[in-house]
Amino acid sequence: MDIYLPIAEVSVNWPVLVLLGGLVGFVSGLFGIGGGFLMAPILVVLGIPPTVAVASQASHVVASSTSGVISYSSRGAVDFRMGGIMAGGGILGALVGVELFRWLRLLGQADLVVALAYLIFLGVIGTLMLKESLEQILRRRRGTPAPRKQRRRPMWLYGLPWRMKFPKSGLYISAIPPLALGAGVGILSAIMGVGGGFILLPVMLYVLRMRASVVVGTSLFQIIITTAMTTVLQAGRNQTVDIVLSSLLLFGGVIGAQFGARLSGRFRAEELRAMLGVIVLGVGIYMGLELFVRPSDLFAIAPGVPEG
Amino acid sequence: MQDLPPPPPALVAEAPAPVLARDPSVATGRILRVSAALTDTEVQVDSGFTGASIVLYGAVFNPTDTPADVVVVVRGPDAPVRLVRKSQTAGVWLNSRPVLFEGAPGFYMTSSTRPLSDIANFGQLRRLGVGLDHLRIAAPEERSTVTRYGVRDVVVSRLGEDYLDWRRAVIRLREKEGLYAADPQGVRFVDNGLFRAEVVLPTSAPTGTYQAEVWLFQDGEPVSSAELELTVEKVGIERGIYEFAQTRPWTYGILCVILAAFTGWTASRVFRRN
Repeated sequence: MDIYLPIAEVSVNWPVLVLLGGLVGFVSGLFGIGGGFLMAPILVVLGIPPTVAVASQASHVVASSTSGVISYSSRGAVDFRMGGIMAGGGILGALVGVELFRWLRLLGQADLVVALAYLIFLGVIGTLMLKESLEQILRRRRGTPAPRKQRRRPMWLYGLPWRMKFPKSGLYISAIPPLALGAGVGILSAIMGVGGGFILLPVMLYVLRMRASVVVGTSLFQIIITTAMTTVLQAGRNQTVDIVLSSLLLFGGVIGAQFGARLSGRFRAEELRAMLGVIVLGVGIYMGLELFVRPSDLFAIAPGVPEG
Repeated sequence: MQDLPPPPPALVAEAPAPVLARDPSVATGRILRVSAALTDTEVQVDSGFTGASIVLYGAVFNPTDTPADVVVVVRGPDAPVRLVRKSQTAGVWLNSRPVLFEGAPGFYMTSSTRPLSDIANFGQLRRLGVGLDHLRIAAPEERSTVTRYGVRDVVVSRLGEDYLDWRRAVIRLREKEGLYAADPQGVRFVDNGLFRAEVVLPTSAPTGTYQAEVWLFQDGEPVSSAELELTVEKVGIERGIYEFAQTRPWTYGILCVILAAFTGWTASRVFRRN
């Protein structure tokens, strides 16, 4: 049942990988996210070199997002104009991120930066998500009405140049914030191997205040473009994409995603967010522990030997 | 001993006396020498590869009364390694600057009839480069020459007194991956003069050409040796994918994306119909 991965150069049990793809796909379908943040750490635990894990699972994100975008766009729930601008930023970010990742690997600091990025981003997002959803659940139990939300968008969205109309999102704002958001997520996509949905969604909802119905579809659209770019760049610059590994993952992933999406209707939105918050926070803390726990061996092999 | 396959080319080197008989079926009983062969000289890495185990077998022709020791050394292609050391700063474990070590083989295994230190002395092993402690691993980029106590051109390492810790770590980490091994009881005599040793290649064994040396020691001196070659190579679809990813990386990347997008599209089609 073992299969040898030609790029990762390790032998793994393939049903485990298909199951893992299915499990992460299920989670991604359930919560409407890419699930990359969950996949990369598990692959590393299974013994895949981190650089290969990060690069190969980006294409898993492409697959699960593609089937998502198709179903959202058939309902008209994708703002291609907004998504396109964010994707433009995402491509720039991916270019920067892949070079940054190469440079960090050369310095021997790649694993550290990845751990730190997981701890900070997942820690903060997970905490916020958990706090917000628990408050909402408690309010519903007690029967108190939700406090009035601040409906105003931050003023700086309007002060910046290059204002554009985004009819589907119900926005008339500068193109710079979506571009910058896309670029930031592109960098994370290259370094952490994530799609970045867990950052895109809250920012699009609470900062840009896009129309809620188009948020998920638009973010998925931007994620496809960014992760596709990341995959090509990682393959071209670092030769770290293992097509056998990603095929196994995405085979399980697309099936799992469908089941997850079906089950998601059974839960309330805030319950789902609370569950997701726990998972996100857990992964963040798990990855961050590496920074604080005394390593079993003080020496470690730094991946990547300079060419020649 | 298990049945012997037809012997692959076995090289007999450094026979100390003039070789009279060239017919391999005629044992040259008067010269102390060793002869060896591998059960497999080509290891093929395919999709089912989970490591390999090869038997090195051979014979010692010992006309004397003094017992002889056999040492088998298998060395893979050179694979430089970069090492970092973690240190705690303000509660956080940080990596040091990476240090490049050269001369470290990607695979190294010794197998012997007794512990190496009992077979030959330190200087002898160091000279032959036999044993994990005697690998010529060095960090040339850290070297610099200084004048110390009035002596010019003294070679020092920037790693200072920890240099040996670093060097040991290279070996320890590779040992943990199963790439380096030393088995002091690995060479077993199965019959009068016939011995065998097992070479275990882990999944992560690098591809390339491996050298297997068989040394015969008597009274701490190397008296005879034989050298064999072993290749580890990717075959079939694994090789195709690997070479494609290395030679046309951009096309390969685009293909990966198309495959992923196509799978996603197919899944959404299939599941919508249900």
